[in-house]
Amino acid sequence: MASIISGSADTGGSLALIHLHAEATFRSMTVVINGRDDFTLENYRRVSEGGEPVAIGPRAREAMAAARADFIRLLESDRTQFIYGVTSSLGPRANVTIPPEQQQAHARAFGFRGNWARGFGGGYLDERVVRGIIFARLANFVAGNSTARPVIAERLAALLDGPLPPVPLDGEVGAGEALPLAHVLRGFRLDDFEEGEANPVVNGSPVSAALAADAALRAAPRLDRAERALALSATAFGVPANAYAEELGELWGDADEAAALAALRRHLSGASPGRRQAGQVPASYLILGRVLGQARRAVAGLTEAARVSLRSVTSNPVYVPPDAAHPLGQALSTGGFHNAMAYPALNALAAAWADLTLLAGRHVTALRAADPAAGPGPELSALAEEARAAAMPTLLPAAVNDPQDDVSSPVFGAYRREATAAECLDSAIALLAAEAGRALDAVGRRPAPPVRDSLQRVRAARKGPDPA
Amino acid sequence: MTVVLDTSDDFTLANFRRVCYSGEAVRLGEQARRALAAAGRGRTAQGEAGAASAGAVPAAAAPADSGPAGSGSAGSGGGYLDEAVVRGILFARLAGCVSGRTAVRLTAAERVAALLGGPAPRVPSGGPAGPDEATVMVAALAGVRRDDLGEAERRALAEPAPCPAALAADTALRSRQRLESAQAVCALSIEAFGAPLGAYDAALDDLWGDAHEAAALRALRRYLDGAETEGRRFHQAPVSYRIIPRVLGQAHRAVAKVEKAAATALRAVTGDVLLAGRVLPSGGFHNGMAYPAMNALSAAWADLALVAERQVTALNTAETSGLPVNLAVPKAPTGTYAYGWAASSYVEEARAAAAPALLPAAACDPRSDVLSPAFSAHRRERRAAECLDGVLAILVIVSSQALFVTGRSPAGPLRPLLSFARSVFPPIDGTGVRDLSADGRSLQQALTAAAVTGRLVPASGSCGRRSKNR
Repeated sequence: MASIISGSADTGGSLALIHLHAEATFRSMTVVINGRDDFTLENYRRVSEGGEPVAIGPRAREAMAAARADFIRLLESDRTQFIYGVTSSLGPRANVTIPPEQQQAHARAFGFRGNWARGFGGGYLDERVVRGIIFARLANFVAGNSTARPVIAERLAALLDGPLPPVPLDGEVGAGEALPLAHVLRGFRLDDFEEGEANPVVNGSPVSAALAADAALRAAPRLDRAERALALSATAFGVPANAYAEELGELWGDADEAAALAALRRHLSGASPGRRQAGQVPASYLILGRVLGQARRAVAGLTEAARVSLRSVTSNPVYVPPDAAHPLGQALSTGGFHNAMAYPALNALAAAWADLTLLAGRHVTALRAADPAAGPGPELSALAEEARAAAMPTLLPAAVNDPQDDVSSPVFGAYRREATAAECLDSAIALLAAEAGRALDAVGRRPAPPVRDSLQRVRAARKGPDPA
Repeated sequence: MTVVLDTSDDFTLANFRRVCYSGEAVRLGEQARRALAAAGRGRTAQGEAGAASAGAVPAAAAPADSGPAGSGSAGSGGGYLDEAVVRGILFARLAGCVSGRTAVRLTAAERVAALLGGPAPRVPSGGPAGPDEATVMVAALAGVRRDDLGEAERRALAEPAPCPAALAADTALRSRQRLESAQAVCALSIEAFGAPLGAYDAALDDLWGDAHEAAALRALRRYLDGAETEGRRFHQAPVSYRIIPRVLGQAHRAVAKVEKAAATALRAVTGDVLLAGRVLPSGGFHNGMAYPAMNALSAAWADLALVAERQVTALNTAETSGLPVNLAVPKAPTGTYAYGWAASSYVEEARAAAAPALLPAAACDPRSDVLSPAFSAHRRERRAAECLDGVLAILVIVSSQALFVTGRSPAGPLRPLLSFARSVFPPIDGTGVRDLSADGRSLQQALTAAAVTGRLVPASGSCGRRSKNR
């Protein structure tokens, strides 16, 4: 096992959750999906970033075929029962019944192609995220909860073999995630749909799952870079190493803070000894372990949201296979399409990035206290303010579209704000690393070997965004 | 009853409740007394100039000599902190003490413990800006004689980490029961609307795969146990009814986080600690976990308030619900009209309160260059919670009315809630003279009180009129 935090050997705390298999890169070049347990963050990464295709495995095909047959038996048992989108119309017209003799034509006439893609502007999702959405969409199918034939899932998986359509970032807030999915599914063949096959494709919350996973995969390396830059800053300031002593982790009693302290000690190991007394060290240095602990907690929270969301079955209706109480199974109308976990986790991470950005600014102020020359202070203040603005949480949207679809998903807003806060942090830690390097040079001190390479890269790039 | 404190394991949320809400005194146990009485090599070293951590105790908060230090308080205006919070700060202060890892010795710890044997000191709440933690510590410890203590000991006593610990604990203890009430009210609303029960089916526990959402689903099913399956809405309910388990699940997650933050902070040893005879300066005075957890809870309450408001609107809209217009009876044709508007005002306030408290942008001085936002986060959470209680009260009112005008009863487990609600806010039946505003306020206050006590009882002075239709 290796951590996705490069160089980490003992991350511990909540981030221990996101250890990934080092052997991933040696796997075959196709991700084979047989069940919901295959929807891991590592497989998500392989498909979204690695560009690997997806194959539907035999167990998944078998489960889908069996569930499809069971669902048809349920439908045929009473075509006047309510099954959303099958025996009824859609959205605000859910109370309109489709007569049995029209239900097949209703399924075939599903006019999704291009018709629902309403949003525009604000730039576009990276294609890797669009790939991730399609990957996450497949979780809905593989365990036989979708009511669709296996061919529909295979067709979805095949989308990953070619270029994917752009998905605008603006205008994607609605009940569920049908709006962004409409963009994702441009060109997806829908004209041979049978009863019960439209909603598994277009209804659900795979977008939240993918956005959470995408942000989570970027968050852990970003936090590692921040920890290195802040440790470099501590070295430059001359903070005594025992400010991050192992014993403090035990006394504070929190695993994430203990892990943050361990990371700081690692990044300080071998550095020129700190020359200051504790009484000379500003709070912004002493509290590093606790603030970084909160960032670790936020990263872990988002990672957990991604982990749970990727493997969850979220379409409406959801088909529950037969059991003793329901020999034909059930087609339940639910709120699975609303992911209530991803956007708060993105909000929390944006706030953690904002706090770290502010801390980086404080460090630069402290490092330059004795230096009257102009430094990056104003720029850092601007970054901190932008990050703080981005940390304003996205809540459930206040606007109502119609009485039936009366609550929307804010996940696109949360994703964008987290990305903005992260960008601010990236810039702030680059400036901090450069400033710390300058301070070390001025006094002829050396950083710890673990962060020496980072510093050299910063010096080479001058103002590069990535000090690691 | 007296809570005996021996080790950090005694600083639990349950003991916090006993001491802070029930007013129980504390006593230092034998193990704690031994730890505090140990000579503790290095305790005197704490007094060395410059050894104390920056930010731990700003100079203004560590008076050099005499005891009562309330006069040093910079907080002004806005009344005083809740007594429970102040008691909580004193309680949390003792966690570090009993470890024997701080400069505080037995005599000083006993003095702090003794404060919990009587009325808590009055601590200014600081007005709209709130107090800073160092000022609060000065005021909370005003009754502790300090003129015979060394500088290190005085500093250790005044170290401010107990503030966020107590605030998180206070929030945690109020939030679990508030969530329980919210679940009951939402279940009552489901019954009033006649929403199909499939949206809360046990199969979803696994299909969604999240422990907190599963807990919310279980709670809803518990309240809906025995609900009529006949006569419910044929087609699916509005989104606000179907997603409520997931929104409640997020609230469960937020409550769990604040509970964890509180449990961790209460037992933590903070400030400058003694280790192997040396002073270990640290950032322990800064709690990085409590304010984000309270922020998250505020946002969860705001979102829950919005979904509850949507349900109010759905119940009140005949075209959506299929229920009588305005849920009215002929003698009171306006029925529950405009309750959606009232709910909207609470929602907007809750959303404003959900703006997160971040590390303050302003720096105090070059050493204390990062301050704590814990009091801001606590104040905002209290406001968001109060607003949620307002919306929930309205949802109860409207749900009760919907059941009343259609002559229905909810599932058995919900009948005590309905009975209580009608004892405070009888159905609007057009008889008698009502002060609907006062009755609604009473219901909100009852929900707020229940967040602490776990029991729904009428607020004193409530129930202006009793209806024969209860």
